[in-house]
Amino acid sequence: MSSNKVTAVVISPETSPQTHEDEHVHAVYEQIASHFSSTRYKPWPIIAKFLSSIPPGHIGLDSGTGNGKYLPLPGPSSPMIGLDRSRNLLKIARHAGSQSGIDSDLFSTTINEVVQADVLNECWRAGVFDYAISIATIHHLATVERRKRAIQTLIQAVSPARGRALIYVWAIEQDGLSKRVIPGQGLPRENVGQDVFVPWVLSTQKTKRQMQTAARTDPDAVKVTEKDEITEEPNKVFNRYYHMFSKGELYELTMAAAWELGLAIGNESEYPARLGIEIMQCGWERSNYYIEIRRWRG
Amino acid sequence: MVRLITHNLLACHAKGCTSNNFPLQLKDVQIALREADFNPDFVRGFMPKIEWNALVNAARQLGDSSLPAEQPEMIDDDLLKALHHVLLEIHIEEGQMTCPNCNHVYPISNGIPNMLLAEHEIA
Repeated sequence: MSSNKVTAVVISPETSPQTHEDEHVHAVYEQIASHFSSTRYKPWPIIAKFLSSIPPGHIGLDSGTGNGKYLPLPGPSSPMIGLDRSRNLLKIARHAGSQSGIDSDLFSTTINEVVQADVLNECWRAGVFDYAISIATIHHLATVERRKRAIQTLIQAVSPARGRALIYVWAIEQDGLSKRVIPGQGLPRENVGQDVFVPWVLSTQKTKRQMQTAARTDPDAVKVTEKDEITEEPNKVFNRYYHMFSKGELYELTMAAAWELGLAIGNESEYPARLGIEIMQCGWERSNYYIEIRRWRG
Repeated sequence: MVRLITHNLLACHAKGCTSNNFPLQLKDVQIALREADFNPDFVRGFMPKIEWNALVNAARQLGDSSLPAEQPEMIDDDLLKALHHVLLEIHIEEGQMTCPNCNHVYPISNGIPNMLLAEHEIA
């Protein structure tokens, strides 16, 4: 990722946040999908550990699945459904985990379930999932209100009695500058964050090569190839919008999201006859902040 | 892919549409059958989350009548295998899903359902 030339951005109050996201997030991913996907392959340790802890028989939601790199991780006993706005990313995501060079339509155990939707859409039966993840997604939403609603949407997608959710967002504190893990309580209120554009440099050569690989596994990918070759100039730069989270901000936002839903924060022994969430872990990992919550019924 | 497992979880989320918004009605669908590895642990664990009537009706509409109309008390291997097939091996490739309450249409193309709404349609 070309994160070396990050520029600060101010979103005009006259611009609708939806329009801003359409232009600086959704349209960008739609065009860089295959190149982006070719650079995404390693799961972060906290996420891999979370997914390996899911019991058999559970079903999960990956909200903002991107190229679907996490979809195969929990294994066939506790699968995830991938949700994303970008159709071009979803075309890649549904084959994530299949062996390259094999037409995975013939080996359908590696076809993933994917749904095109926004992370703010409550397009599920409430509380039907056992677990959910939202990795590197909520930081693309343009206002604090929308980021909070995304967390609420995720909370409401999982079981009120035992649902678990893991959220991961980009941190202002980047790798090498700070590796402190934030404790769960008593955080300082430094929760303002920073709105930025992060350039994505699309190399056309790489795109073509990547597309040729994709075309062998997904007939839809061919259409994308043609489009890319016609429309992209060499080394075209796309500015992606990010809200970089500050220390404590994700924690505060999650607390506010839960509080607004009328959920107690703590655990069921403290609040009998209530619904609530417990913060299971919260910290910083490799330039990202993460928080894991568990829903409970007291 | 829209398999019936996903269809059994999706609900309409258009503005103001909060009741009778499930199950979405399948229409003009093209399906493909693809074998998947049988995983009894998953099917057994998923069973309590199934909306049974919605699943049976959707399966019958797509030509599969292997499931009993009432959710059986006893879970045996035959039932798990029938559920496995209905939930995970029937793929809806093309078609649409219509909300029984507000009639909003969600299209399915190339196996991917589009649940996006225009900004003014979002609750």
